[in-house]
Amino acid sequence: MKRRVAIVGYKLIKNTKASVWTRERIYYELSRALLEELEITRDKVDTFIFGSNDFADGRTISECYLIQRIGAHMKDESKVEQEALNACVYAWMRIQSGEYDTAMIGMVSLASSQFKPLLVQNHVLDPVYERPRGLINYYSAAAFQARAYMERFKNFTESHIARYAEKGYRNALKNQYSLQVIPPSLEKIENSEPIYLPIRELEVAPYADGGGVVLLASEEKAKKLTKKPVWIDGFASIEDTYWIGERDLVKLDGLREAGKRAYKMAGIKNPEKEISFAEIQTFFASEEPIIAEALGLFDEGSGAEVIEKGLSEINGKLPVNPSGGSFGGNPMGGTSLLGLINAVKQLRGEADDFQVKNPKRALVHAQDGVCAQQNTVMILSTGGEK
Amino acid sequence: MRRNVAIISVGYNGRFVSKRPDISIVEMLEAAVRNALSKTKLKPHEIDAFVVGNMHTFEGVNMGHLWASEHIFALNKPVMRIATGGTTGMSVFHCAYYHVASGLYDVVCAIGWEKHDEGDAQIGLGGILLPEVFSLAHFGPDFSGRRGAGLGLMGGGGGSTGGASFQAASYLAKSGGGIEHIDMAAALMRANAAKNPYAHLQVPDCKPEDIAKTPIISWPLRYGHTCPTSCGACAVIIVAEEKVKKYAETEKVAWVKGVACGTSDVTVGNVHDGQITDPADQEMCKIVAMKAYKKAGIKNPRKEIQVAEVYDGFAHQVLLWPERLLLVDDGASPKLIEQGYYNIDGELPVNPSGGVTSTNAIGASALVRVAEAALQVMGIAEGGHQVPKKVKNALAHGWGGLFQFNTVTILGDTPVKK
Repeated sequence: MKRRVAIVGYKLIKNTKASVWTRERIYYELSRALLEELEITRDKVDTFIFGSNDFADGRTISECYLIQRIGAHMKDESKVEQEALNACVYAWMRIQSGEYDTAMIGMVSLASSQFKPLLVQNHVLDPVYERPRGLINYYSAAAFQARAYMERFKNFTESHIARYAEKGYRNALKNQYSLQVIPPSLEKIENSEPIYLPIRELEVAPYADGGGVVLLASEEKAKKLTKKPVWIDGFASIEDTYWIGERDLVKLDGLREAGKRAYKMAGIKNPEKEISFAEIQTFFASEEPIIAEALGLFDEGSGAEVIEKGLSEINGKLPVNPSGGSFGGNPMGGTSLLGLINAVKQLRGEADDFQVKNPKRALVHAQDGVCAQQNTVMILSTGGEK
Repeated sequence: MRRNVAIISVGYNGRFVSKRPDISIVEMLEAAVRNALSKTKLKPHEIDAFVVGNMHTFEGVNMGHLWASEHIFALNKPVMRIATGGTTGMSVFHCAYYHVASGLYDVVCAIGWEKHDEGDAQIGLGGILLPEVFSLAHFGPDFSGRRGAGLGLMGGGGGSTGGASFQAASYLAKSGGGIEHIDMAAALMRANAAKNPYAHLQVPDCKPEDIAKTPIISWPLRYGHTCPTSCGACAVIIVAEEKVKKYAETEKVAWVKGVACGTSDVTVGNVHDGQITDPADQEMCKIVAMKAYKKAGIKNPRKEIQVAEVYDGFAHQVLLWPERLLLVDDGASPKLIEQGYYNIDGELPVNPSGGVTSTNAIGASALVRVAEAALQVMGIAEGGHQVPKKVKNALAHGWGGLFQFNTVTILGDTPVKK
């Protein structure tokens, strides 16, 4: 009964500190390039979903002026105001309903050059108790989380957090579309300015201007449009409680549930073996082991071991963020779309210098809220074995 | 493939009012969801997923659903957040519809809300036109001067009344109507609102003369033609066809027959190919209506639609939308409103709930249109605003963006045959 839905094409821009193009121009160039590559006109795209956020965009109804730029005029359009991976989920639903065959999703964020991201992020805090006090924010909560992990697993130290950041920078340099900063040395990361200890300045993913567009299609259409479709096998999104005091920040129950549901939908029994690589969304280097473990990719408490033995390196047992993830630039709200695009690149064998060897299945992860309150997990595959 | 979907319950947090200092945003949402649940056989944990939306720049809480997780019973559930300006509520509803129609979930709760007393809607609206200044006002260094900056923006962006007055003037010129016809529409909305226990501005037996006494604020719109800024939340529960018997309290449910959405470019005096686009044209609304009718299997909307709930942020739109939705001839509305065609007991009741002119909690408004249309189909609209005839099909309409988004939902008393 179910139709299969595939990703048939993508386009993205290189992350920069300050884009010289406007958001409108970027959408126009990207969507046009994608349509040209697939040799179709915009008439063949049935629906458009934006994945952006008015706060991150600094504009009310931020897609107002983007409609014609992406080519959505006279079409059915909507906007998911969450991490952009959720727009992909909505596009899947629209195609699955049988009312549409193709859908374009887009996210372009200029958060890095427009204003201070922290100020925007703090608007997710409840205005009654937490925001006025100024104690809880993304940074301080991440420090709590990292500290909790260090307390629970004593072999994990501050220097391991730095090593995770170093891996991110190093991988990102191989990715042509990343910020392309010279990777700082481990020593430099370890001695960078403390923000909220144990989080240091260089362990925070650098903000960037960036974004991309992706075209989804139903099975019949996908096979006509591309020789290399990447199939969406499963996904799930789960919201945990808002109050970080009521969450186990190391266990991340919501994320576990999301992972479990996505694996079930994709028919995955043993994620550690069946997932070839993962693109997870982190704002801080310390999040990587916590999220990877909650997703069942590594044993619990193995954070120190994984980075020491290089298990999550590009050529490791289970590469995590081979593209560098958000350490190659974090366009707020669009990071997960870049994760999705980088996973598609890998599965299509187009990842050049950061290509993972012969990947079959990928995991893409997105998070919203303080300390990954809301998580979305998506499983992609080349579809060979199905 | 596509499944049939029904609305089994509609809930409000209470009457929509200007200020609710006694509750927070999340408490307001909780009240609406509880109210909707109380009219079903559902238990909170049986809801599979939630779709929520508001215009968060109006109240200054980004992604309010994160804060509301336990309050709306969404703990450990999927939640999707949608926002598209004025159409937010109906975009939320459409998303919820696709949640079920895709076969992914069986029971979904759609929630739209706005708590205008916690922010300044006009700052938010100014932010459509002036994003840089908006960013500065919201996120810049001078937090203490925010009120002042907001007032400055109201002058700069003009809020929405400035833009709407272009549309109203153009509409009057084309249809041959006068301000008195907008007065009539406004009076009808206020009087209808008095029959709806949840409406904000209730004026029993409001007469056009009462509206005509209010001053013109942006010609041809009077103060009496504009909507209030309300606080309120609306929750709508939809289920798949197979689950209707199990969860619906009565046999009265509203079937979702067709949903459609369409966007055009911003149309406040934009120049295309040497021509200025007219905000009263709303060509896209016609296209969207036709799409929705086609999906719903409606061949002659003028005969088959018994009641319409349209998004009338300003009273002239009570006249405009029925025309653009192909329910009456272009330019016929001024005559028809004189004849009482749009009254609750008229040929085609428009906004028996009092419409957006009487109640506007922006993120909820378009969802309230769906909710009210559903109540009309179910035949359970309270307080005397139920139309006195059998409603087989009802139309709900949402409008937003910068004069560019149109959404239409057709509800009916029977599902569409597959």
